[in-house]
Amino acid sequence: MPVIIGIPRSLLFYKYYPLWKTFFEELGAEVTTSGHTTKAVLQEGLKLSVDEACLPVKVAFGHVQALRERVDYIFIPRLVSVSPREYICPKFLGFPDMVRQCVQGLPAIIDTSINMYRREGDMFRQFSEMGAHICKNPLKITAAYRKARSEMARFDSRVEAGMLPEEAFINREGIPGDGPDHRPTVAVVGHPYNIYDSFININLIKRLEESGINIVTADNVPERLVNSYAGTLNKKLFWTLGRRMVGAAYHFTDNPSIRGIIHVASFACGPDSMTGDMIERKVRRKGNLPFLNLILDEHTGEAGIVTRIEAFLDMVNMHGQASGI
Amino acid sequence: MIGFLGIDVGSVSTNLVYINEDGKVRESIYLRTNGRPIAALQRGLQEMTELLPPKTVIRGVGATGSGRHLAGIIAGADVVKNEITSHAVAASRVVPGVRTVLEIGGQDSKIIILRDGIVADFAMNTVCAAGTGSFLDQQAARLNIPIEKFGDLSLKSSSPVRIAGRCAVFAESDMIHKQQMGYDMPDILAGLCEALVRNYLNNVGKGKDISGTVVFQGGVAANQGMKAAFERALNIEVIIPPHFGVMGAVGASMLARDHVARGVPTRFKGFGAAESDFRAGSFECDGCPNMCEVVEIRKDGSVIARWGDRCGKWSTRMDRRKISS
Repeated sequence: MPVIIGIPRSLLFYKYYPLWKTFFEELGAEVTTSGHTTKAVLQEGLKLSVDEACLPVKVAFGHVQALRERVDYIFIPRLVSVSPREYICPKFLGFPDMVRQCVQGLPAIIDTSINMYRREGDMFRQFSEMGAHICKNPLKITAAYRKARSEMARFDSRVEAGMLPEEAFINREGIPGDGPDHRPTVAVVGHPYNIYDSFININLIKRLEESGINIVTADNVPERLVNSYAGTLNKKLFWTLGRRMVGAAYHFTDNPSIRGIIHVASFACGPDSMTGDMIERKVRRKGNLPFLNLILDEHTGEAGIVTRIEAFLDMVNMHGQASGI
Repeated sequence: MIGFLGIDVGSVSTNLVYINEDGKVRESIYLRTNGRPIAALQRGLQEMTELLPPKTVIRGVGATGSGRHLAGIIAGADVVKNEITSHAVAASRVVPGVRTVLEIGGQDSKIIILRDGIVADFAMNTVCAAGTGSFLDQQAARLNIPIEKFGDLSLKSSSPVRIAGRCAVFAESDMIHKQQMGYDMPDILAGLCEALVRNYLNNVGKGKDISGTVVFQGGVAANQGMKAAFERALNIEVIIPPHFGVMGAVGASMLARDHVARGVPTRFKGFGAAESDFRAGSFECDGCPNMCEVVEIRKDGSVIARWGDRCGKWSTRMDRRKISS
């Protein structure tokens, strides 16, 4: 019987799932995930979580709870830094501890620290520690690490070619040539766990698609472009996700095919309140590109979101007509 | 007589307007929703038939407001539009050249920035209702002052009292304190207006480029004290359009007029809708852990519309043709 490792479908799942999954599978484990967020997942999360956490963290508690009984290990890495000289939100760093304190009846937890603050090369050692939980053979761990990295690189290139993560998890063949897209393109900029979790964002992506909108996100923008735009700032942004969001959004303001930008923020998220403002200022300085700042928390009603999205799309269409597109 | 109807079913008020073929407002009705949107709308339709000459032909109907979908189904609307676009359309046609719309309604407030007649930016209040009409309503009731006299009384103030307007609850305690200290009523009322304006500009209007021509609409525009407070804070003349309280409905009727100008027949179900027995109910779907609360509208016992489900299982089951019959 292989050991079963559960990965919660929350937080940086949408960014690193192929890396983690391949690594553990190569070591002979069976990898399972929690389902998509539902009201029941959120309710569980609200019950377990500390009050002052943001909605994505509360939801993450619900996902841990959903996996608790059906796995041998829950994988909750202690994400400190995924890029040199940058950090991930401190709530992620403390997440394994919060889970241990607040959730009863947990299976074993794999909470290896991922910290590449000093150099990216440290990642291998950390993965070795991670693998040691289920495999004692260093050669096998090295091979699994290599395989996971190359799987991750392929996933990244599919996303950079325009796929959204959920699609890129399944569709491993790359982009089908679907010809030029005549739909207006809107950029959605936000943390991956906000924009790809359709429960948290009240179906934002589907709503836009059903309104005939083509969507691009910050994750579709290659790292090189993100960095060149983020590099125009006076001071380096040391939040990895914030840097990606600002860099990608600045790039979108320069791209004439982008007809509007939606910034998705978590209520009470410090970095989001800053990136939202930075992006809005940039948009205003450059002219009249439609911009919408959507703030989400567990009290967000569908009505408010629908009204804002509808009004935003009216704005996009009116701008299109006025400029003869 | 040929004309168009605009319906705005809001949280606090339900408004109907009738415009003629030239887009001039001929009749308008302002009713309290009193938590029963269907009853309010039916009463509105009833009152409208009494106001209009017997041979009036309704060519098109537009619905807006938070109850727009409900109104759209019951009256048979040709256009169902969000409040932001409706208010923007009304303001830009009634006051050509408008660049800023300040709108304060019963439970929400919004700001719309227009450039060359096109919406360039907007914002709505979030969960906080401190800067809206229902707060003024409540305070007027507490002070035993009819809301209609609130504005005129506040204009008698010579030096408005500073009241903390950040939060409705704190504003109330602050007001009570000021009143017990012996401050004059007009000064307290004027102070309250200023606090509301401050709250509005800091929350809804934060970072927006407010420039003239400024239009102030929504039910709260009836309050002259608020107009004066806005003018003092912005140092710009603030215009209150003639039908300020029903501008959402005016915009909806104009959008309906534009819509049928393309030669589409109206879906209006006639004023008879006032006599049918409409009932709204809801149930919790147990098909998945999302536990959506599905709303069901029945006309004379048979279901004519459903919404509120995330997956579309209930809403799409409704045959479109059956709805329009």
